Amino acid sequence: MFSLALLNGGVGARVAAGRPKQFIAVNGIPILVYSLVAADGVEAISQIVLNYPPGWREDVEKIVIDYAIRTPITFVEAGSTRHESVGRMLPLVRNDNVVIHESARPLVTAADFERIIRHEHPDVSYMLEIPFTVAPVDPGSRKVVGSLDRGTLRNVQLPQKFRTSTLVAAHEYAAREGVVFTEDATLCAVAGFDVRFIDGDDRNFKVTTRVDVQLAGYLLGNEAYDE
Amino acid sequence: MSKSIMVTGASKGIGLATVREFYRTDNDVTDFILVARDSEEFDVALKELAANNPFGKRATAYRVDLADRDAVLDLSRHVMVAHGKVDILVNNAGYTAPMAIQQIAFADFERTIAVNLYAPFTIVQSLLHNGNAFQLIVNIASTAGITGRSGWLTYSASKAALISMSEVMKEELAIYGTRVVCISPGRCATDLRRTLAPDEDPATIMQPGHVAGVIAMLASDIGRFVDSQNIVVRM
Repeated sequence: MFSLALLNGGVGARVAAGRPKQFIAVNGIPILVYSLVAADGVEAISQIVLNYPPGWREDVEKIVIDYAIRTPITFVEAGSTRHESVGRMLPLVRNDNVVIHESARPLVTAADFERIIRHEHPDVSYMLEIPFTVAPVDPGSRKVVGSLDRGTLRNVQLPQKFRTSTLVAAHEYAAREGVVFTEDATLCAVAGFDVRFIDGDDRNFKVTTRVDVQLAGYLLGNEAYDE
Repeated sequence: MSKSIMVTGASKGIGLATVREFYRTDNDVTDFILVARDSEEFDVALKELAANNPFGKRATAYRVDLADRDAVLDLSRHVMVAHGKVDILVNNAGYTAPMAIQQIAFADFERTIAVNLYAPFTIVQSLLHNGNAFQLIVNIASTAGITGRSGWLTYSASKAALISMSEVMKEELAIYGTRVVCISPGRCATDLRRTLAPDEDPATIMQPGHVAGVIAMLASDIGRFVDSQNIVVRM
């Protein structure tokens, strides 16, 4: 069985006026609900570890109750960085395997979770090809310092899955080395583990701007009409 | 897997006709949750169902006045404990006391909204809160909710609100894969119609069984191809 570590602690200053971004409504429904309902429909997920921005626990708990989420949920306060947040969630994970997702990706489906859970390799991330060119630069001097082959780069998506022991060891490695990562697939790879990727879907994008909120609402609303 | 159906206003009219339609068909709907106010008509309807039950279906009666919100909340809790789930919900119960604006008793307006609008909302919300995932919700509105008619202010307003509420439910409950259907019957030979149009000969207009046939079609696999908007059903 798997635990889902659902990252929900970010305070997205770019999107929400006065409230943490996980409470914004996408197509009229709090963005957090989409990931909870999708995960609730996955048999292999028997625990959800859900974090909340400091001071917002009651609001997050109310959403869980209102939407009658059946999977047992363990609540934990978010850290100051995403890296720290995952570190705080790990001791609460009760299963040998963990899926990581974030509530800012509301277009995830139960099928997305099931597909990565079924994958033969234990440590896997959804990733996307990069359809544009990325340049390495020196921001200080505004100098372009070389070129990158986008064929060997990927846009890191969620969900990801790891053996819990892999993720714990990788976070111990980061603490020893004094390094902080913005996501866990590259952390585990740098820590020496064999992490694989499978092709994700560009629909499952991360909602970070107001335009993203509108786009996600458009896609979710149209799906409702397509039912 | 066998399905349950919950029908409000199940003692007569379109509600009872819908129950009969599913009850006397060899299908996977086996558990019938029948909700109506306590009445002799309800007793007669239940006896008739028990006496002619060719497919051995289970029917359970709940005598509830849907204007009583606390009773509706109790009903949802009881239903989840006793039946485990509601796959198909038919919000059919309706109330009207047609009056001209100057004559409307506010208590009647409140009862109309309580039965026709708040009750379907409360049933859906409380069953969701109790962890139910509906497959299909059918809200019975009315053509009176599309076009207001003189003397029908309270009824028309309640059904217009039900049509709008159905559109919102359809969008929000899509995350569970729930289908929400709204149908608006025109003139149909029911007790409520007799209240609205006492001089009309009921034999000359659409019968409850006809509307029940449409609901059965909407509940079938092909229903999803015609359910995108409020559906007018009339002769």
